[in-house]
Amino acid sequence: MVTKTEETQLNRLEGQVENGGGGAWDYLCFVRKLKVRRSDKVLKYGLSILNDPKKRSSLGPEEWTLYEQVAIAAMDCQCLDVAKDCINVLQKRFPESKRVGRLEGMLLEAKGSWTEAEKAYLSLLEDNPLDQVIHKRRVALAKAQGNMSEAIEFINKYLEIFMADSDTWRELAEIYVSLQMYKQAAFCYEELILAQPTVPLYHLAYADVLYTLGGLENLQAAKKYYSSAIELTGGKNTRALFGICLCTSAIAQLTKGRNKEEKDSPDLQSLATAALEKDYKQRASDKVSVLGSALKSLKVSS
Amino acid sequence: MGLGFLIGAFGVLILAHAAFSTIQYRGLLKILEEEFSGPPVNVIVELLLALSFCMWAALTAAGKFLSVHHHSEENRIVSLPANMDFLIFNHRGKVFSPGTDMRLKH
Repeated sequence: MVTKTEETQLNRLEGQVENGGGGAWDYLCFVRKLKVRRSDKVLKYGLSILNDPKKRSSLGPEEWTLYEQVAIAAMDCQCLDVAKDCINVLQKRFPESKRVGRLEGMLLEAKGSWTEAEKAYLSLLEDNPLDQVIHKRRVALAKAQGNMSEAIEFINKYLEIFMADSDTWRELAEIYVSLQMYKQAAFCYEELILAQPTVPLYHLAYADVLYTLGGLENLQAAKKYYSSAIELTGGKNTRALFGICLCTSAIAQLTKGRNKEEKDSPDLQSLATAALEKDYKQRASDKVSVLGSALKSLKVSS
Repeated sequence: MGLGFLIGAFGVLILAHAAFSTIQYRGLLKILEEEFSGPPVNVIVELLLALSFCMWAALTAAGKFLSVHHHSEENRIVSLPANMDFLIFNHRGKVFSPGTDMRLKH
């Protein structure tokens, strides 16, 4: 989870390194800790450290983690010979290592030789059938080939054993959403919210899926989850505020024929609208008129 | 905060001085062969002074308080980490040519 202070710190370090102010090793450690994907910068600054023998020796035993990080970044930027060299260095140092075996499998994947990568992963799994990382790489292999049903099958088998892995549930939810299987995606997001209830982004994604599914009950639940996302972010999430306006107008459209037995929160929409207008005035004051006309059209259709 | 530390150090010094003078007083009583009923009045005054100084320093020289709310400006979650375990390399970035000077030089 990347918090706001960590994001500002990351941007500051990035700016500092880009303008030649040093601190590349701090930046690389921070990227590794936050698990963000900044492969081009990692490759550039990692290579600058690794190619300088003085800086390399000052790292000590953390040199090998840097080799691994640069190898993965190189594969992401499609510099396969850099990756091959890094993996060779790691292979010489750690001959029988599973981590290096995984890196070799990833290199085969990056080259596009799917069958050899599959063979490499299967042989690694033979020695250690409960290796979580290799199972996840098999899923990624199936996903890279475009074989989504096989990826889903692998993830389901993995989740039967390792049920508490939130990252995998999130990956499964995203695959289902990409295949438009929204009911299953909603189930995955429910698991995520159960495991980590204070992360507002899961609430937001769940509300989005419910809103997409449609139907009166789903819309009411979506409104509740948008509200909880607003509460968890202290009102700073614009998407959740928009979500509330859309849900209210969609619910009102569905219940137009019936008599209005109970309107549980008539002022929720007006509060959300007021918050949106204030936010826009503060951050993008030239777009306030666009916002006003969009909200008006929502109210007209309701 | 500097003043807090100074006052705290001053209070500790006064405490040490009070301890020293009590030991001296006991030595004096041993010479005069009288009973040791309690420390003299000035030592007690010194002890109370040192206590008040140290308490004041401990309360004012506190560190920086961090926010606890999960929706405060520093703590709010901005983005989720990219799932690095499920990274695929089969993306559109493949067509961008890497810099030709990207090489591991040994």
